[in-house]
Order: sequence, then structure tokens, then C-alpha cells
Amino acid sequence: MINQNLNELDQFFPRAATRQLGMVISGSLSKGVEVKLFPEAPVESIAVGRYIVIEGLQLQFFGMITDVTLDNTNPQFEKTPPDVSDPFLREVYASSSTFGRLHVSPMLVLDDKNEEPRPVKTVPSHFSLVRLATEEDVNLVFGQEDETHFHIGEPLDMEDVRVHLDLTRMVERSVGVFGKSGTGKSFLTRLLLAGVIQRHAAVALIFDMHNDYGWEIQSEGHYKVKGLKQLFPQQVAIFTIDEESSLRRRVRPDFVVKLNWTEIQPEDLETLRTTLDLSDNMIGTAYTLRRSWGDKWIRKLLTAEKYELDELVENSSINRSSLDALSRRLERLERFEFLQENWAGDSAKKIIEYIDKGTSVVLEFGRYGNSLEAYILVANYLTRRIHQMYVERVERALGDAAHEPRQLMIVIEEAHKFLDPQVARQTIFGIIARELRKYNVTLLVVDQRPSGIDEEVMSQIGTRVTALLDNERDLNAVFMGVSGANALREVLARLDTKQQALIMGHAVPMPVVIQTRLYDSDFYAAMGFQEPEELRGTRNDRVTMMRGAVEEGID
Amino acid sequence: MSTNFPIGWVLRASTVGFAVGCRLLQPNTPHFGDLVKVALQPDEIDIFGLIYDVQVKDDPAVRQLILAGEMEPEAIMDQRENRLVPIEISVLVVGYQQNGFMIQGLPPQPPLSLNIIMVSDEADLRTFTENLDYLRLILNARQIPVDELLVANIRRATFAHPPEQQYAFLLKVGRELARLLNHDLVRLEGILRRIKPVVSR
Ligand SMILES: Nc1ncnc2c1ncn2[C@@H]1O[C@H](COP(=O)(O)OP(=O)(O)OP(=O)(O)O)[C@@H](O)[C@H]1O
Ligand SMILES: [Mg+2]
Repeated sequence: MINQNLNELDQFFPRAATRQLGMVISGSLSKGVEVKLFPEAPVESIAVGRYIVIEGLQLQFFGMITDVTLDNTNPQFEKTPPDVSDPFLREVYASSSTFGRLHVSPMLVLDDKNEEPRPVKTVPSHFSLVRLATEEDVNLVFGQEDETHFHIGEPLDMEDVRVHLDLTRMVERSVGVFGKSGTGKSFLTRLLLAGVIQRHAAVALIFDMHNDYGWEIQSEGHYKVKGLKQLFPQQVAIFTIDEESSLRRRVRPDFVVKLNWTEIQPEDLETLRTTLDLSDNMIGTAYTLRRSWGDKWIRKLLTAEKYELDELVENSSINRSSLDALSRRLERLERFEFLQENWAGDSAKKIIEYIDKGTSVVLEFGRYGNSLEAYILVANYLTRRIHQMYVERVERALGDAAHEPRQLMIVIEEAHKFLDPQVARQTIFGIIARELRKYNVTLLVVDQRPSGIDEEVMSQIGTRVTALLDNERDLNAVFMGVSGANALREVLARLDTKQQALIMGHAVPMPVVIQTRLYDSDFYAAMGFQEPEELRGTRNDRVTMMRGAVEEGID
Repeated sequence: MSTNFPIGWVLRASTVGFAVGCRLLQPNTPHFGDLVKVALQPDEIDIFGLIYDVQVKDDPAVRQLILAGEMEPEAIMDQRENRLVPIEISVLVVGYQQNGFMIQGLPPQPPLSLNIIMVSDEADLRTFTENLDYLRLILNARQIPVDELLVANIRRATFAHPPEQQYAFLLKVGRELARLLNHDLVRLEGILRRIKPVVSR
């Protein structure tokens, strides 16, 4: 009977070279299925994160190994292990009384009639056979590279299979790139952005804190990698708020961003609440000041004589100590050279002009990258303005897609500073994350401490790309609202410290652990980049140099 | 021992086992643990069993000789070759073959008195041990030295296989025993130790 079933299976699913690993012995949809390993399948050769196919009676299930355990047929084996000094006895026990067990999370169903893999809604029946997924199986799941599908890496242990992200789906909702410091977040983000830009999936506005995206980026191995402007000179513009720094790095910025003091509004201070240590009273004071003094309120506050302030306190509800405290806090902004009194331009408009042409903008912070206040202030102000324009235009378009502005993806780093639960509700970034794609603007947040991000915002992050994280709370945050999260945690906690990531959500059919695609000259070439003539000869040397350095870095 | 040859005739029988009477013991056979076969003629059923006991019973002549105390070698020889009571061999039924199918279980009918018992040859032994369900019949038997029988029979069966297949055969037997004796690991280990190959792979 069983033999007959096996034969039928062989007919329907030719086994090619893959070996059966074991069979399903129990499980549930919510917790995953248990697989008993056959004696011929050595436990030690099976790694968490590998893909498997379960041949059910009618359906084929595609899943991932999330745990490996040892089990036995009699608990007595644990208390008084048998004498295994004799190889024969050892082999008998090892192949009968004791066995390996896999915990598998079924993720997709592949059935013959339906080309597209579907999410699982049931479990395979008892004794269904389990085998490692072949390249064809995995390719079927992650699709082929095409207009919208972008190659982001390879599944672990499957060098010849490519994982593709659906970029169109990715930019429809906010994206998060998480991981500890040095795990490759900036490299991953650059890969994602390169895909988005090359395939015209969206236009990006990148608040580039550490000059990671525009031009020649210093990597850890002391070699330089190319920025987005170098790869896509026609589609990317570099803006800067620190022209000196840009020029020093031999970047020719397309525009130097400046802000007029009058442009900064109390709303912008809301986001700075934690960073500048502002109390409710101080923010209240700021609103009052603007009401009495108009747009010039900050400058006026910072330059006011004592008697002017006395007068103000007397004639309003403002509390003197809040006023002084606010003034002291705002003094810190005075050292920002990009804040000017006579600046008549409009940086936000300039950015929109580029975006409208389909040009992505990298805004370099130069030396201000070390000042969180500057970063938050500028990002918040510009985003607030741009979002406002987007809302107006989308509403004017009255649902006519042709008149709507282009899909925009705004990239911020240290995202928890913008999106922590205290400020996420009021600030523009919280609003964008929550309103979804209604106004064609989404976020790409890069962060090493996802637990600091407001839960509601986190739940709106459609695609999560996560490199190694080890803090318990960060892990919880990343998996919030993901079914089968516990199983995936095991996988995530075991990633290499670099260049590996777990991708889950909107842009992939199922969670997948990847070896991140190398950001190297092959990648540049794939993006259409041509080496200048005089460099070609040395290209191979540099490739090997880069690869060598990358490997050294993995510890 | 390469062909079937007769060793005696059925004395008494039941479905689960039977007794065989024979005139004398050959030097090499029958042995404890040997697979034997009875052919039931009209139905074309072959019943298979394992020898688990051989009894040499006394008779008046033996008693007299012992009491007389003087034992001429000729008298001893004569007594052994011309017995008054047959030597009795006890057999545990472990399977039967009908219409070419080997079934490891109890036959529909026992053999009849005076059916001829043959010792199976190596080919028969190999065919029979392709399936190991009979191990359970041995383990479940009452009032016989089960473990001894098991070990003796497995040894025989192993040597019926060509040397390069012996280890694999033993491993298969070992796994089946591990399954059947999962509740009694001490006993399992005792048996495994005794059947383990002298030189493993
Ligand atoms: N896809 C990749 N291709 C080549 N090198 C990579 C890749 N991913 C990571 N690396 C290597 O790992 C190093 C660290 O990566 P990266 O700077 O992106 O980390 P990070 O998470 O952004 O760190 P931080 O939190 O400090 O900003 C890089 O300098 C580079 O050497
Ligand atoms: Mg970084």
C-alpha cells in the first residue's frame, strides 16, 4: 500500500536527484509541521533556513526548516544511553531508536493547476514525504527577473538560485531595513534603491545621513564603492546641505539646500522633542510665539532683548521658564550654516522639480550627519513640505492616475528618532507611514533599533528586510504581526554578521533568508554602468581585492 | 548443506508448533535454530518452522545398560542406532508458503502425523528472511528459550547470505528488533551484542 503510493508520487513528481529527507508526523497550520528524518538523512547536514518541499497527497507544500531536534522512541535512551562503543550497535540505534526531527513552516502551496504559488491554508497529511527543495522549486517561488522583479540575493546554500523582489509591490507600502550596526543595512538599502531607480518603480528622496548613497562610498575594507549618482547619472541628483564636505569628497552637488529660519515651524519641533529635550510647555510656547510674532519667531526669540521677553511674558500666557528653556534649546540651531536669514530660494520646491522629472534626490548631510538635530530638522521640514504638495496634487487629480504625482519613496536613517511612540502620532513620518499609499508617498526606514519605532507604524511596514539582530525587543518588533514569527526568529538570530538578511512581507511570496547580492563591479555592470576606458584593465584586480576584503570581514 | 533433506516425521502437531521424531542425529543436523519445512501434499502448502528443542528420551534398554554398568562400545553404538523411542525435535511454526506467496504467520492447518520434515537449504533461508515479520512470532512465543532461538536463527540466516550482504542483513534485523523491543532496551542490547558481526564492515 505504502509502496504503491510512493510509486504514484514518483510518477507525478519525478524525483530527479533529490533525496527524501523524512516524513510528516504531526503539526498544525499555526505552529508548523514536524518531520521525522529518515535514518539515511544525516541531521548534521541539514541547516535551519533551508527550503523543503512536502509532497502531500494532492498538494505540494513549500516551506522552510526552522528548527532541528533530536528525538528517540524511548525516553529511557536519554537516561541510560546504550553502549555505542560497538559500531554495529551504534548504527542500529542511530537508524531506528533515535532520529532527527525537523520543524518546518509550510509557507506556500504549489499545485499543478495553478502556476502561482499560493499561501498555505492547510497542512500536508500524515506521512507525506519531505525533500529538500530543488533549484527549480525555488525558482518557481521567487520568479524570474523581469521588469518588476529585481535580483536581491541568493537563498542560503543555493548559490545558483536567485531571489527576486517585486519592486512594484515593495514601493506601494513602507519598507524597513533593520539590523545591528555594521550588518550591511546601508549596502542593502543601496541595492534596493538601485533596483527601484533602474526599474523606475518609484522616485527616491534619500536623507543621506552618512554620505552612504550619492558618490564614492568608503567601505569597511578600505575600498570604495560607487554611489547611486555614479550608477545612474541621468536619474539621480545629489543635493547637499554641507557644500564644503561635498566638494572635499569631489562631489559636484546639483543643488545646495538652504533653509530660511522663517521656514521652521513649531510642527518641526515636535519631531525634535526627544532629541532637543523639549517639553510640552516649550512646544506650546513655540506655537504661541508664532502666533504673536509670525514666521520670524525663532530669529526674534534668539535675538530678543530681555525687556522684549519680559513684555511678552506679561502680555501672554507664556511661562517665563519655558520661554528661556526653549530659547536655550533653539540656540543650538544657530551653528547650522544652512539655516539663513536672507535665503530666498525654496529647497522643497527644487526637490519636487527633480522628482517630477523622475530624478531621485540624494540629500547629503556632510558634517551635519553627526548632528541628529540637523538631520531630523531638515528631513522633517522638507518631508512636511513635499508631502503637503503631494496631498494637494493627488486631491486635485481626483483619482485620475495620469495627473497624480509620481510614486515617491522617502529614505530616512535612524528612523526610531522620527517614529518613536512619543512623536510618531504627530509627526509627518508617522502620518506617511499610517496613511499608506493614499498619496503616493511611502517610507524606506533604515534602523538598528526597530524596537524604538512606534508599533502602529511598524505594523504598516509592508516589506521588512532584516539583517542580524540580537536584542530580544528588536526581534519582537521586527516580527510584530507576522504569522509563524517564532520559527523565523530562530533563523534570524543565526544569520551571519554581514551580508545576510531575512526578507519578509509584501515584496516576496514568502519569508526568505538571503545571502545579499554583492555590491561590486558585476552589480554596477548589471545596472548598466560602463567603466571609463582607462580603468578597464585593472577591473579584475579590483574585483578580487573587493571580494577578498569582504570575506575577511565575516567573522 | 546445500539442498533440502529429510530429518524425520511429524509426531504430534498443532497450528503453532509440532514435534518431529527421528531415528538418529546426524553430526551436522538438525540444529537448534534451523529453519525446517513440511510439505502438505494435496494443498501444496509448505509450512516453515524453527527448531527450538531436541530431546533424546530414555527407553528401557538404556536404563538396563546403565544399571548393568558395563558398556561395550558396540552396545552403545547399537543402542544409539536402533533406538526404541525416537529422538524428538520441537518446532515453532513461523510461516507458510501457499501459491508461491510466503506468509509469515500461522498456517490454516497444522501438518499431519508422519508428514516428512526437511531442513531448508540456504536459498530457502534467504527467501524466507527477506521479510522479518517472523521475528515478532518468535518474540511472542511462550515457554521456549526465545532469545537463544532468535540469536541462533539470525546467525544461521546471516551466513546464508554472501559475505558482502551480511552486514546489511544484520543491520536490517537489528533495526527490526529495535522496533519490536523498544519497550525493553536491556533485552534489546543483549540480543544485539550477540548477533553483531564479528568483523563489522
Ligand atoms: N552586499 C554587500 N556587498 C559588498 N559588501 C557588503 C555588502 N553588505 C555588506 N558589506 C560589507 O559590510 C560592511 C558593513 O555594511 P554597511 O555599512 O552597509 O553596514 P550598516 O548596517 O549600514 O552599518 P551602520 O549601522 O554602521 O551604518 C560594508 O562596509 C561592506 O564591506
Ligand atoms: Mg549604514
